Formats: sequence, C-alpha cells, structure tokens
Amino acid sequence: MISAFIHKFSSPKSFVQITKTLYPLFIFTGLSMLIIGWTWGLLFAPPDAVQGNSYRIIFLHVPAVIFAELIYFFMALCALMHIVWRVRLAAYLIKSAAPIGAMITFIGLFSGSIWGIPTWGTWWQWDARITSTLILFIMYLGILTLHGSFSNLEKSDRLMSILVVIGVVNIPIIKKSVDWWSTLHQPASISVSGGSSIDPSMLYPLIISVIGLGFTLISLGILTSRSYILGREKNKKWVLDHV
Amino acid sequence: MLRLIKIESSKLFYKLKSWLGPMLIMILVLTAFPLSIDISQFDLEKFYFSIIVVSLLMTSFLATEGMFEEDFEDGSLEQEFLIEQDFYKVVLSKIFVYVCFIGVPIALIGAIFSVANGVAIESFVSVFLSLSLSNLLLFNLFAFGNALSINKGAMLGVLTSLPLALPVIILLGTAIRSIQYGNGFLEIISLMIGMGFLISAIMPLIISTALKTHID
Amino acid sequence: MFDIAFNNVNEIIGMNGHGIYVWSVYSIAISILVMSFLVAKNRIKGVKRKIKIKNAPS
Repeated sequence: MISAFIHKFSSPKSFVQITKTLYPLFIFTGLSMLIIGWTWGLLFAPPDAVQGNSYRIIFLHVPAVIFAELIYFFMALCALMHIVWRVRLAAYLIKSAAPIGAMITFIGLFSGSIWGIPTWGTWWQWDARITSTLILFIMYLGILTLHGSFSNLEKSDRLMSILVVIGVVNIPIIKKSVDWWSTLHQPASISVSGGSSIDPSMLYPLIISVIGLGFTLISLGILTSRSYILGREKNKKWVLDHV
Repeated sequence: MLRLIKIESSKLFYKLKSWLGPMLIMILVLTAFPLSIDISQFDLEKFYFSIIVVSLLMTSFLATEGMFEEDFEDGSLEQEFLIEQDFYKVVLSKIFVYVCFIGVPIALIGAIFSVANGVAIESFVSVFLSLSLSNLLLFNLFAFGNALSINKGAMLGVLTSLPLALPVIILLGTAIRSIQYGNGFLEIISLMIGMGFLISAIMPLIISTALKTHID
Repeated sequence: MFDIAFNNVNEIIGMNGHGIYVWSVYSIAISILVMSFLVAKNRIKGVKRKIKIKNAPS
C-alpha cells in the first residue's frame, strides 16, 4: 500500500505541476514571515542583558542551522526512497536540495563566526558543535562532488543516495555534541520537548523567522528542483508540453 | 569465509607497498615531528598524542586507498561476486584482513611511540586498544569512501568519507584524554567497542551495495 | 513587546557598537538568498530555452 502511494505521487510530472501551483503561496508566506520576524527581532525585541544588540544575529543564525540539519534529514528520507523503491523523483530532490543545504550551512557558519567576535572575542573555536557543522558543510560539498563525478547519472543518483544515508549518522552527533562534550557553544535555546531558555519577546520573532526561512527555502527548492527535473526528463513528452 | 580470508591475506601479502607503506609512513611522521620542533620548549608528552591521532587518520586513509580498485579493474571483484553471490562476505573478509595486517600494527607503532615520548608504560595497553578500535572504525569508513569513488581517484574518496571519520577522531581524542587524566576510560572504550561491532556488521553491507552499483 | 527598542535611526544603525556585525551578517545573507533565487530562475529559463531549441521544427 505504501509502495502504491509512493508510486502514485512520485512522478516528476505531477511534482512539477503541483509545485507550480504551490510556489506563489510558499514564497509569499515565506517572505512575509521572514520580514515580520526579522523586523520584530531587529527593531522591536529588547537588547540582551549580557550580549547587548549583537544577539540579534540569533534570528538568522538559529533558523539557518536548524534548516542546515533538516535539509539533510529530508535528503536522507529521499535517499531511502530512492534506494528502496527506486523513486527517480527522490534522487532529483536530493540533487536539488544539496546546494541549498550547503548554502544555508555556510550562512549558519558565517553568521555564527561573526556573532562570536563580540560574544566570545573570537570568530572561530574548535568547539564540538561548530566543528560538526563545518563537517556537515563538507559533507554537502562531498555529495555534490560525488554526483558530478560520474557520466552515468543513474549510477551517480544511487551512489549519492548511499552516501546521504550513511552521512545522516552525523546529524545526531551535531545535535548532541553540545551535551556530550564540554563546549564553548551555548546549549540549545529552544527544544521540541518544550521549555525554552529565552524570553518570549525574543522567542516569538525567532519562531516566526524559523517558519519564514523554512517556507523561503522550500520555494527555492521548488525552483531548483524544477530546473533539474526539466533537464533530466527533457526527452519526455510531458516536458515538451510543459515548456 | 575462511577461504576468502586466506585469499585476501595472500593478495595483501604480495602487495608489499599496501601494507608496508602505511607502517613506514606512520613511523616517518612520528619520528619527523619531534625533529621539526625545539623539544626543550615543548612538553611533548602533553600533545604528542595529537600527532599520533592525525598520523593514524592519514595512514588509515593511505592503507585503504585502492582497496577495491585493482580488483575492480581486472575483473576479479565481479568474479568473486559471481562465485560467492554475496558481496558482503567478500568485503567483510577484505576489511578484516586489512585491519589485522595493517590496522593493528599501525596501532602498535602508535602505542610504542607514545610510550617513547613520555606516556606512562602502564597506559600502553589502553593506548593500543584505543588506537586499534579507532583503526577498525576508520578502515571501515575509508573503505566505504573508496567503494563509492572506485576508479575516480583517491581525493573523491577522501572528500566523501573524511567527514564521517572526523567524529571517530573526536572520540579517540576523548579516549586519549581519559587515559591522560585517569578517569572514564572504561566508558569510552565500551562505546568504541560497541561502535566497532556495529560498523563492522553494517558497513560491509553498504560497501557491497556501492560495489554492485559500479558493477551493474 | 511592540515598543521599538531604539530612539533614532543612528541607534538602529550603530546598535551600541554591534551594528557592524549585525548588519553585515544580514546583508550578506540576504544577498546570498536573493542571488540563489535569481540563479534558480535563470536556470529554469535556460533549460526551457534549450529544450525549445532542440525540439524546434527544422
């Protein structure tokens, strides 16, 4: 039953058609929430008692790092679908999501480095969390390099999927590294199990920024996957009709 | 399985540079480092372990470079698959042989050098155990990288598998610190043993899937 | 919660000495995001153009 469901909704043609309709909604939601969240955080949230105004980078840094990991999880799910059920669309989505994941990880690393200058007095620390996020960035680059190394694209898709599934073991290590090893990096500010260590006047714009960045990245993913799918499926009749 | 181990052992024995090379490089790096610094200014005992860890990482990668390449190019990998119908055993025996004949000697060399550079002789077994278990993990991970990039050059293998190997290095560093400070070693080593068993069981399966993709 | 935390535009830009860090991070991040969208849109146009050229009746 699962297999039938997956095969029904995993055709590249239906994906392109559905996302074409959803794209305006996602981009509008994403950009408006991002504008609201960042404006609230930058202008209306009170300064932090210890860090002053430099803490306002949190409204970019935390969403970026959250999505750096979430995008990898999404890729791992797609990789499983590709390996187990041979879903072509899943491989296309991995290839489209990897550059976005690399970009947002870079933004997370870069924003964290800049934030570290006024907060810790240094732009880099060989701290478990920061190093693990750098490793995640290198993994994204490795995935893209691996896929680009083979002329046989089906083989590339399969090898890339295998690498993504194995690499997903690194994500819990990043998540838990703050707790497992003594580290300069502060513990998680918000958690899924409830409870937060930050004030609501800072928490609400942070949550809005997270949701806004999420929708924005989904919109970007729709665009990149559309161009990739059209390129890979260019010999199919539906692509000619679509174009 | 024993037949495969015998075949892989004899293949490795005749490829002198594959097993002797990494050992010699390990000795070279560990010897060269104290020569390159003014040892009267530095307390070698405190940071020599870091050199051992980085040398271990490098030699593990060098040892597994081309692990499957020669067999893939001359067709013997495909032949073994056709005979065995189960790549898992082929890969498991290959990794087992590499760990036994290269990984363990490299760990021994590292442990000897650590004692020669100020580490207490009582810690020799702990250091050797930590390095051997790390080699077991690293050889599996680098073998995976080599299987993915089988005839596309060593650099691609490094790029894909090195990020996975770095958490092993973090764990090894924690083990070394626990030896230096004399607490928590049993906990860390138990974790490494568990990870060793898990990775040794799962990784050959994943490597065989990658190799089958190349052969198909 | 909705009172602006600064008294004037100079304070917003300066942020008590932290403005350079905050504004540089946001401006670079926004530039990267905008460029990504532009590149993605251009790629779709490029792919569509190539498909049209390839399938144009000769």
